Amino acid sequence: MERNMESLVQVKGLSVGFRVFEGLLRVLDGISLRIGQGERVGLVGETGCGKTTTVKSILKVLPQPPAVIFGGEVLFRGKDVLRMGRRAVHQLRRSSVAAIFQDPLQALNPVFTVGTQLSDIVRDWAAGTGKRLSKKEIFRRCVEALAQTGMPDPERIMTCYPIQLSGGMRQRVCIAEALVRPVELLLADEPTTNLDVTIQDQILRKLDELVEEKGMSILLITHSLGVVMDLTERVYIMYAGTIVEEGKTEELFTNPKHPYTQGLLKSIPKLTGEGISQGIPGRIPNYLHPPSGCRFHPRCEHVMPICTQQKPPLTESEGVACHLYRGDVR
Amino acid sequence: MSSRKEAALAVWQARWKGLSRGWYRYSRNPLHVVGLVVLLLIGLAAGLAPYITPYPEHAGPYTNFREAGLPPSKAHWFGTDRVGRDVFTRVIFGYRFSLLLGIVVLSISVPIGVLFGLIAGYKRGSWIETVLMRVTDIFLSVPPLVLAMAVAAMLTPNLFNAMLAISISWWPWYSRLIYGMTVSLREQYFVRELELTGAGKLQILLREILPNCLGPLLTKVTLDMGFAILMGATLSFVGLGAQPPTPGLGTMVAEGAKRLPAEWWSTIFPALAIVVVILAFNLVGDGLRDVFAEEEV
Amino acid sequence: MKDVVLEVVDLKKYFPTKRGTVKAVDGVSFTVQAGETLGLVGESGSGKTTTAHCIIGLYPPTSGELRFKGQDISRGFERRPLSLRREIRIVFQDPGSSLNPKRHVAQILSVPLKVHRIVGRGERLSKVRELLEMVELPPDDYLYKTPRALGGGEMQMVAIARALATSPSLVVLDEPTSALDVSVQAKIISLLLRLQSELGLTYLFITHDLSLMRNVASRVAIMYLGKLAEIAPTLKFFRSPLHPYTKMLLSSVPVVSPEERALKPEKVVSRGEIPSPVNVPPGCSFHLRCPEKGEACSQLDPTLQEIEEDHFVRCLQFQGPP
Repeated sequence: MERNMESLVQVKGLSVGFRVFEGLLRVLDGISLRIGQGERVGLVGETGCGKTTTVKSILKVLPQPPAVIFGGEVLFRGKDVLRMGRRAVHQLRRSSVAAIFQDPLQALNPVFTVGTQLSDIVRDWAAGTGKRLSKKEIFRRCVEALAQTGMPDPERIMTCYPIQLSGGMRQRVCIAEALVRPVELLLADEPTTNLDVTIQDQILRKLDELVEEKGMSILLITHSLGVVMDLTERVYIMYAGTIVEEGKTEELFTNPKHPYTQGLLKSIPKLTGEGISQGIPGRIPNYLHPPSGCRFHPRCEHVMPICTQQKPPLTESEGVACHLYRGDVR
Repeated sequence: MSSRKEAALAVWQARWKGLSRGWYRYSRNPLHVVGLVVLLLIGLAAGLAPYITPYPEHAGPYTNFREAGLPPSKAHWFGTDRVGRDVFTRVIFGYRFSLLLGIVVLSISVPIGVLFGLIAGYKRGSWIETVLMRVTDIFLSVPPLVLAMAVAAMLTPNLFNAMLAISISWWPWYSRLIYGMTVSLREQYFVRELELTGAGKLQILLREILPNCLGPLLTKVTLDMGFAILMGATLSFVGLGAQPPTPGLGTMVAEGAKRLPAEWWSTIFPALAIVVVILAFNLVGDGLRDVFAEEEV
Repeated sequence: MKDVVLEVVDLKKYFPTKRGTVKAVDGVSFTVQAGETLGLVGESGSGKTTTAHCIIGLYPPTSGELRFKGQDISRGFERRPLSLRREIRIVFQDPGSSLNPKRHVAQILSVPLKVHRIVGRGERLSKVRELLEMVELPPDDYLYKTPRALGGGEMQMVAIARALATSPSLVVLDEPTSALDVSVQAKIISLLLRLQSELGLTYLFITHDLSLMRNVASRVAIMYLGKLAEIAPTLKFFRSPLHPYTKMLLSSVPVVSPEERALKPEKVVSRGEIPSPVNVPPGCSFHLRCPEKGEACSQLDPTLQEIEEDHFVRCLQFQGPP
C-alpha cells in the first residue's frame, strides 16, 4: 500500500566528505531519502554512521571547510537547499524547518529566559511573513506552545532560565521553540537520548500528538530502534554513510532483510529475554579508505565476491541495498 | 626483536604522528607560520649576535661622537644613537638580553607555579590547598608591574634583579592555571580509578595528571614569553632593569626618547623590535592553542 | 544458601549542600551472592551510582553497614587495605574519562599489576598481553595505542581488562555500556558474561536499562529516590512486577517487536518527574507520580517486605496493617 504523498524533502545522491590531517574522510556516499508531506520518517544508525552529517546538510549548517560536498542535492519543495543563498536559507529555517537536538542545554541560550527566547522566535517568524504581532499576542502564543508540550505551569516557566529546569523540561522548551511557529518539517536529532526512560516516554508521546495535530512531517534521527518504532511510519537504516535498507517501520523490524539490520536487531536486548547475541563482528570502517563495493562487506557473514566490487543500489521494490536480494547478479 | 625496543619504536611512531598532526593544525593559519619564522630568525640573530652584527663592539660602553645621531643609512641600517653606536647592532644584542630574561623568568616561575597548582588542586579541601592558594591570591592581588617595580627598586637595579622581580610577580598565574586543571582532572574517572587501585600520589600527580596539563601550559608559556619581555622592557624603561650601557631594549627606548622627535630612529627601532617579538610570541602561542584544542569532527 | 559476597545493610549516604541535605541513598539493604549478577536499576537521581560508589569506597557511607565476605568495609578506600581493593574492582560508565588520554594501553594496564605486585617486573608485559587476549583485543595491535585511537567499545574492553588485572571476586559495573551502540554493547555484554562464567566473578550491574537486565541479571533491584522499590529474581520480576513504579518503568521501555509489547504492563502511563532529592515528598516518595496511590500514601512511608519468596516490594498496597 503506497501512500502517494507529495515529497516535502528529497535528498538525492548526497555525498559529503571532511578534509582532515590524514586526508579526505568520505563520509556520506550517495545518500538518497525522501520525506513526504505529513510523513514520519526515521533515520537509524550507530555512532559515526553519518546521521548528523545528513541532518546538518539538510539544515545547511555544515561548516565548509572542513566539509566538502561532492555531489547530490537536497530538495525542499523542489528547491535545492545546497544552492540557496543566505537569505533563502534563513527564510527556510524561520518558517519551514525546525530542529530539536540531543542536548537541550546547548540549544538554549543560558543568559536569556525561556520567554525571551521563545518570543524572539515568534517575532522573527512574524517578520518573515510580514505580520505584526502585539506583545500580548506573542506572549499568548509562547505560553500556548509551552502548554502544548505538556509543560506544567507554562506562565511561570516563561520567566525561568534554562539552568533552572530539569532535562526533560528543557527538551520540552526546545520542542516549544520548534513548534511555536507553524513549520512543515521537524528535524529531531536524538531528541530523547539524554533523558530517562519515563521522561523519554512522555516526550515521545507528546511529539507524537503534536505532529499528528499539526500535520507536519518529521525526520527522527536516532540510534534507538525502539524509539523509531514508537514514532515513525517509515524508516531508513544507515550504515557507514550509506542507506542500507528502507521500509515501513513495522514490516522492516519484523522482517529485516539487510544483514546489517538483522545484526542490529539481534543485538538489542529484549524484554522477552532471549539472551544477547555476539553483536556484529568488526567495527565501523575508517572513512579514509572505506571498503570497496558494499561498505558492510568486511563485517558481513554472507559476503560474496561481487560485494567487494560493486556497490549494491537501494532497490525500489525490495527497499534494501544488498546483492543477496538481486536475482540478476547471483 | 626485543619487546623493549618494540615498545620504544611504537611510542616514537605515535609521537611522530602526533607531531605531524600538530604541525598540520598549526600551519592551517599562515600567520602562525609567519610568527614562528620571525621568532626563529630573532632567536638565531640573538644567539649569533657577536658574529653577525656589523659593529659588535657597539654593544658595550663604546663612544664615537663623530658618528653620533646619524639617521638610518647603508652603513647604519637603524642609524646611530647619541654617542655614535649602531642602533641595529644594539637592537640585536637587546634581543639577546630580552630572550634571556624571558627564559630565566619562566624557568623560575613555571616550576614554582606548577608545583603549587598541582599540590593545591590535588589536595582540594584540605588546609594545604587553603595555604597555597591564599598565598597565590595575595601575590595575584598586587598589580604585577607594581610588585615587580617594588622588588626591583628594593634590590640593586640590574638585569638579574629585574628577572627575579618579574618571576616573583609571575608564578601565581601558573599556580592558578595548573590548579584549575588539576581540580577538574582529579574528578575524572581515570584518576579515581588510580586512587582506588592504590597508585602512589606522586605517580598520579606527575605521570598521570601533569601530562594532561602540558598542552595549555606550553601555550601559556609561549604567550607569556612575550609579556615577560614586555615587562622587562618596561622595568628597563623606568630605570629598574638593564643599566646603561647594557643594550636593553627598554633602556634604549628610554634613552632615545629624550631626543624625540629629531633622532626618532634611536627610539622607534628598539620599540618596534619589542612589538615584533611580542607579536611573534603571541602568534605562535595562538597556533599552539589551536594545536592543543580538543579534536573536532 | 549460597555464599554471600556483599551485604549492604541500611546504607545511607547524605551530601550536605547549600540548598539542604541531599539524601542520595537513604536506607538501602540487599545482598549479592557469589557468582550472580545483581542488576541495580534506576533513573538518574535514584542513587544507584552513589550506592555503587559507596561499595567501592569512593566515599564513606553516612551510616549503615557494608560487609564483604563477612568483613566490615563501611569506610572510604583510603582506609581499606590493599588486599580488599584487589578484591572489589569497578568499571566506570564513561570509557572516555576512565582512561588517561596521555597513556598507552600497556601503561594503563601495568598500573594495577605494579601496585598490587601481581607479577614481577620482567613478566609485566606478558601479563598485560594475557589480559588483552582475555578481553579479545589482539595485543600486537593494541599494546601501544592511546585511548584516543580506540573506539568506545575497545576502550571499555581495556577498562574491563584493567579491573580484572588483580583477579577480583566482585566487579561493580557502573553503566558499562550505556554510552555505547547496541551492536558494541552486545559484544561487551557477551564478553562480560563469558568472563563471569570462566573466572567465577560476581557482578553488581548498575544500569537504567531494564531490557538489558532481563537478559543479564539473575536478580533485579529497582531504586527510586535513594530507596529500593522492588527486588526479585529476574524471571519473577518480569513476569509479575508489583511496584507501580516498576510498572511505569516497564511500560516506558521502547521495544521493537509485538512479542515484547505484549509483556509490558498495560495503561501505566508515565507522568511527572523525579522530585529533587533535597525535597523528598513525605510518605511514600513515589506517591506524587503513582497511578495507584491510596490515601495513606502521602503520610506513611512503606518498608520493603517479602511478598512471595525472594520477591520484596516497598509499597503500601502490599503491606498488611501495622
